[in-house]
Amino acid sequence: MRRAPNVVASLAVAAALLAAACKPEQGASANASVTSASSGGMDYHITPTASNGVRPGIHPSVVFGEIRNPYAGNAAAATEGRQLFVQYNCSGCHGGRAGGAMGPSLRDSLWIYGNSDPQLFGTIVEGRSAGMPAWGGRIPPDQIWKLITYIRTLGTPAEPDAPPPESDVPIPK
Amino acid sequence: MHTHGKRHRSWIAISVMIASMFACRGQDAPMAMGATGKAPPAGSGAEAPGAPAPGSWPLPGRNAQGWRYSPLAQITADNVRNLEVAWTFSTGTARGFEGQPLVVDSTMYVVSPYPNHVFALDLTKVGGPVKWHYLPATAPASQGEACCDVVNRGASYADGKVVFNRLDDHTVALDAKTGKVVWDTKLDSIEEGATMTMAPLIADNEVLVGNSGAELGVHGWAAALDLGSGKVLWRAYSTGPDSEVKIGPDFKPYYPQYKGKDLGVSTWPPDQWKLGGGTVWGWMTYDPELDMIYYGTANPGVWNPDMRPGDNLWSAGLFARDPKTGNARWAYQFTPHDSWDYDGVNENIPVDLTIGGQQRKVVVHFDRNGFAYTIDRLTGQVLVAQPYQSLNWATGVNPQTGKPDRVPSKETHQGVNTTDICPSSTGARDQQPAAFSPRTSLFYTPSTDLCMDYKGLKASYIAGTPYVGADVRMYAGPGGWNGRGQMIAWDATTGKKVWTITERFPVWSGPVVTGSDVLFYGTMDGWFKAVNARTGQELWKFKVGSGIVGNPMTYLGPDGKQYVAVYSGIGGWAGAIALGLSADDPTAALGATGAMPDLPKYTAPGGMLYVFELP
Repeated sequence: MRRAPNVVASLAVAAALLAAACKPEQGASANASVTSASSGGMDYHITPTASNGVRPGIHPSVVFGEIRNPYAGNAAAATEGRQLFVQYNCSGCHGGRAGGAMGPSLRDSLWIYGNSDPQLFGTIVEGRSAGMPAWGGRIPPDQIWKLITYIRTLGTPAEPDAPPPESDVPIPK
Repeated sequence: MHTHGKRHRSWIAISVMIASMFACRGQDAPMAMGATGKAPPAGSGAEAPGAPAPGSWPLPGRNAQGWRYSPLAQITADNVRNLEVAWTFSTGTARGFEGQPLVVDSTMYVVSPYPNHVFALDLTKVGGPVKWHYLPATAPASQGEACCDVVNRGASYADGKVVFNRLDDHTVALDAKTGKVVWDTKLDSIEEGATMTMAPLIADNEVLVGNSGAELGVHGWAAALDLGSGKVLWRAYSTGPDSEVKIGPDFKPYYPQYKGKDLGVSTWPPDQWKLGGGTVWGWMTYDPELDMIYYGTANPGVWNPDMRPGDNLWSAGLFARDPKTGNARWAYQFTPHDSWDYDGVNENIPVDLTIGGQQRKVVVHFDRNGFAYTIDRLTGQVLVAQPYQSLNWATGVNPQTGKPDRVPSKETHQGVNTTDICPSSTGARDQQPAAFSPRTSLFYTPSTDLCMDYKGLKASYIAGTPYVGADVRMYAGPGGWNGRGQMIAWDATTGKKVWTITERFPVWSGPVVTGSDVLFYGTMDGWFKAVNARTGQELWKFKVGSGIVGNPMTYLGPDGKQYVAVYSGIGGWAGAIALGLSADDPTAALGATGAMPDLPKYTAPGGMLYVFELP
């Protein structure tokens, strides 16, 4: 089934720790159980966790360790992420500049399934039940991190291809 | 920056008043008179053939013709100012309520947006308690496939069954007495991007339905199901070869561009018709007299027009079909090679009108593209086509060809930002239906006055995701920010406005007009209004909790009193910003948020039914 790549589906709910293609500054937390999974010829290293990040009795840092986006703050990756955002039709659901449409806004402060790096990665790979498709097997891990890099810039001066400044948007009196 | 001044008003639309000048082909066509007899001339106040019981509302537009007219007359222009809330009901669903409740046999039937709760409310008891409640197992993932909020436009009732569509492509018939499922037919798949949001129309023991999803490269269709069993009797696609479109020997279109083999293939680049949209998500109508159904088709897929050179038949058009076989009788395309998302889905209302001194059997259609069409419903000949809203993409409709005279500078292209196009993609009207009064002989259409900048982008097709390819920004039209919506009284015999009420926000609510010439409608900022249907004079208003994008209806309670009911629940495309989108992205919601940044100051999500009565 398109929406649930076989291996990923078997892992119920998961968040990614890191992508094989990327080398994060720090390795996986020793407390997180790492499962290596492959989907559509792409390697995702994922660990079962709660989709909303809440695990009774376990602090998120224990689950997620110190995993971070290898492209965090990288302007070139953000620009590439912006292109990918349009290419993969993310803009169709989340709005031309991610302000929302069929899917929720990514510009606001509300994150239904959490906004840590592993949670965002997990949301993109696995999809979410309310309509977010599972992109694991379709988008390589490296590109997912670039998408996340772009999403992090939304509403900041670093945002590539930002919406027109407020002064240029006609505001009704 | 955009300037919206007088230059928008320089578009001269040419009248297509040809009925009196040409020999009327409609007169030569065979008259398939039904058992219901001849329709009375407009103005007599008489109901359409096959009208339901006076106090009931069994179909989305009350009668199969979709008039949204009720002969009830207890509430009048004189006493409506005393109207007060009789009771309310919360549905627990705070999304766009675009439909209307039904009332049959002292029971009210309510369908909510996703997850598509169905409630039967007992009108014989004080406060309308729940008689039964049905919650289908609608797939949560369907929420991510619905282009313009997870709306549902209501149910239809016939033969003891309440029939509605689930967002995840099931048509379901419930036993009206018990709420138990009689049948459940799955008709399409969300994996391909298809959803179902329209209200089924029951006509002559058939359930007529269609799909949504022209923004996701869906292959549009209409289908007829057997009312008793739910079995699919026929399905007709809107694009593709004649065999799939159900075009055969019965097909006799008026204009020559519709004659030829497999035009639903040859007016597209190779295979593009398979992703060609033309979905059927509007209000269908049925004329029992001629035994024909009428419905419009949505925009062609993909929005970027440079990816699909050609007329893109049969998108953005209208089909007249034989309900028994599904075979097309004639077709007309409002917007060939649509380059702006001007769906043709708006309803086609059958009425008999005197045009140029002759009695004509017509359908009247207010299109997204800003023109209102009066079309011979036997032949498909356009009799009147006049703008009912500001538009500048065409200068008129050519009476000889039936084609719009397009303005080249307003065509959209890939990589080019075309500015100041009117109307915007949300159209001079979107889903909101019109009403017709046989007493005033006038149509009452809600309308939207927005314009836009539109830039085509190369889009890649990924099944189940949007297939749009356009960067769109919308803003207020010539009417200004305080006049983004109108309620218009329209004379369809001449194509002229009789009166206009201007509203701050688009009027996204279809009116009901009564036997006492009172017109009810709602506004997106939450005012429920009564106006004089003859003059447009405001008579009464009431502030409901959440903005109105649904359609009021009126009925006779078991106590013999007239009631008026309406949903309060902001949402839909234009209302999406009130559901939590970000106003700092004017391209959000396919560009609609740019036109509605102030809506959240006026309303927030809700999902209530309000019922009003005289004290």
